[in-house]
Parts: sequence; structure tokens; C-alpha cells
Amino acid sequence: MDQNRQGARASYVALAIFVALWALAPSAVRRFNREAFVEFQAPALHLLGKSRDLATFWEKKSRSTEELTAAGRDLARINAALEIKLQAMDDVRRENVRLREITRYAVPAEYLSVVARVATRDSSSWWQRIVIRKGRNDGIRPGAPVVFGNTVVGRVTAVHLTTSEVDLVTSPGFRCTAYLEGDDQNRIVLVNGVAANSLGTAKARVSVIPHDYGMPSGQPTRVFTTGMGGVFPSRLILGYLDGGTSATQVSNFRESLLLPSRDLYNLQEVSVLVPLQQNPGEALMQVDQFQ
Amino acid sequence: MGWAWLLLTVATYPWLLAADLASDTVASSSLVVFISGVCLVAPCRRLRRWQAVLLAAGIGFLFEARRPVPDGALALTLVTVAIFLTSQRSLLRHTPGMLRAAVIVNMLGCLSWFLAAAAVAPVTEADTLWLGIVQVGLAGLAGLLIFLPLALTQNAVMDRLGVPPPPTTNS
Repeated sequence: MDQNRQGARASYVALAIFVALWALAPSAVRRFNREAFVEFQAPALHLLGKSRDLATFWEKKSRSTEELTAAGRDLARINAALEIKLQAMDDVRRENVRLREITRYAVPAEYLSVVARVATRDSSSWWQRIVIRKGRNDGIRPGAPVVFGNTVVGRVTAVHLTTSEVDLVTSPGFRCTAYLEGDDQNRIVLVNGVAANSLGTAKARVSVIPHDYGMPSGQPTRVFTTGMGGVFPSRLILGYLDGGTSATQVSNFRESLLLPSRDLYNLQEVSVLVPLQQNPGEALMQVDQFQ
Repeated sequence: MGWAWLLLTVATYPWLLAADLASDTVASSSLVVFISGVCLVAPCRRLRRWQAVLLAAGIGFLFEARRPVPDGALALTLVTVAIFLTSQRSLLRHTPGMLRAAVIVNMLGCLSWFLAAAAVAPVTEADTLWLGIVQVGLAGLAGLLIFLPLALTQNAVMDRLGVPPPPTTNS
């Protein structure tokens, strides 16, 4: 028994020494360790995502011919409507190019859209994130915006070889500037994630709302990206103001909560907007390297 | 068998993946289904101390890898628990004792990552106490529910690997 106690004591001493070494170790060591464990799990996450896709495939395959015919007919109608819209958009694009040429307007950073399937979702009070099945090999870079249609989903925070981690709009680490719908002066407000209440829906906070801002009546107020800071393109929807605004300690401003415009935990697929222009200190992949 | 800890880590990984899947399902409620602590209890009864320590570190780092938890916060907590459990095997002699240990270790592990993540989270105001109570409570419940099937799997793997059965005396 004494031998056992002595062994335990020696183990505690060894652990204390290891903790000290771990704390003093260069961050590269800890980063390498983290990367190794992430890459160990990556195949399992891919398998998980692909199993889900397979289950969806068989579920859809089991649908009757009548259902598929009806779905095809609906899609054909939607396609016809979209084609008309596309032609209208083409006119708008030409007009936009003409006006830019006249005003010599500097074109903002263009993006390459990389579509990625969602592998898993993970959420606690201190983080809300999803893992997508595209990574460094596909040209994803840290900080790239992640969208679904014209809705902001979040931002890439960590990139691994074949997977990436995306902080959602409601995650405490998320911050960006925004415009509010109905504000003719386009005054800038700040959106940042907050610690989520367990068992509750995650929301973000919209702060620095001007005191004299009047919400449009009869519809939820949309919150748009400003395009400033070079991360998100402008006029993407961040979400809706949840209820009214409340006063803050700073008397000139009010604040409110932001409800994401989509259920972020039910997304199957997202688009990562990888900027084509190189950011300072960043190695940029060429377009033909994207898969 | 020297590599038993590694093979046991690999054999335990599907359970961790299942817990990740469960976390995925309840993601909208901002909760994590945490079972890393439970994975430690049955092996600590039979593995040698250094093997249990490596298993604990592996399980801890697997959880931390994909989450914004400070490096080593959970892994080192689990290693400490592994050293304690392997030096107090008498606590794990009977099933009720193991069940109690599973719940306590899982709650302790959950508390460690929760507080470590809170310390680095960019949040200025939050009701940490309430959020922690719910998360740690869920971890305790998960420990209670998952322990028996998990211990059965781990014991079967250890039998196959030729790990000696637990000693009858406190050694």
C-alpha cells in the first residue's frame, strides 16, 4: 500500500512538472498537438457527414413517382420565374458597371464562393460553431465570411486540412458592423454574439443604436452588413431585431437583440466567400488551385 | 500490454463521436453532451497508472481539439483524476462505487472545461453560475446513463487485449 501511495505521489509531482513545462512550452508545440488531434478526428467527421448525405439520398429515393413529378413541375415553374429575374439582373449589372466607370469607383474585394457541407454543429454557452467539410486543401482561409444565400452564417475561425470551424453570428467571438433597415442616414451599429442561455435560443446583441432611430412598423427590422472592414460584402442580412430596443447606460444609444434570419443549426450546406485579393501577410492560393 | 491504452482510446472514440452527434442534435439549446470523464472510470480499474494517464490525456485532447477551450485544461484535469483513481482502486471495486465515480468525474471534467472556456470567452457579462449548473447537471446525467454500456464495451476490449482483471486488494 505504501508503494502505491509513493507511486501516486511521484505521479502527482511528475504531473506538476509537466504542467509547468506545458505552460512554458512555445505555442507552436500546443498548436501542433491540437492540429494532430483535429486531423485524427477529421476522417470520422467526414464519414459522419457522408452517412447523413447517404441517408438523405435513400430517403429521397424512396419517394413515389407522383411526388417527384410534382416536385419537378414546381421546380420548372420556379426556374422560369428565375430566368426572367436573371435577365433583369443582367441589365442592372450592366448599369452598375457603367456607373462605376463614370465615377471611377474602386471595386471592392471580389470573392470566390466555395460550397461546403456541414459536418457537425457544436454549441455551448461560450461558443456556437459548425464544422464544414472543406479546409485548407480547398482554399478556405481563416476569417473568410460564411453565407447561405444572402444571409450571413458566420466567419471561419480555424482551418484544418479537410475541415474548417465556423463561428456563427450568435457566437460570443463574432463581431461586425451593420446598418438597420429603415435608417435613412445609414448610421452604423455594432453586432456581437453573447453568451447563450442554456436551453435557450442563441442570439446576438445589436448595440450603439442611435436614440432617435425609429423601427419600421408592421414588419421585423432587418440588419444588414455594411461591407466595411473588408470581411463581409455589403447588404447581406445578419438577422432581425428581436422585439424593441432598450436604453443603455450611455444615454445617446440603445441596444437590442438580433435573431438570426435562418435556423443556423439546421443548415446542411453553406458557402464560404474566399476573398480573391490577398490580405497582408497571407499566402493566397491561385484560383485554379480551388477544387 | 503496452499499447492497450492506445487501442482503448480508439475503441472509446465511437462513443465520443456519438456524444458529438448528440451535441449536434441539441446544438440549438447551447448544450454539449459531455462524456469524456465517464470514459476514464472503467479503464482506471484495470490499466496501469501510466496507461490510464495516457488514455486520460488522449481523451481530454480529443475533446479540446475542436473547441475553443484553453489547451490542456481538460486533459490535465482528467490526468489528475486518472492518477487519483488508479491510486484509490478500492473506490471502484463495486458497481455503485463506479457509477458514483463516473458521475463525479464527468461533472468535474465538465466543470473544468466550462470554467476554462469561460475564462477565455470574449464575453463581458454572463450569468456563469446558472449556465454552469445546467451544463454540469447535464454532464452528471449523461454520466449516469452512459456509464454501464460504455464500461461493458471497454471491459470487453480490455479482455480481448489481455489486460489483467482488477486486483481484489487496494494496490
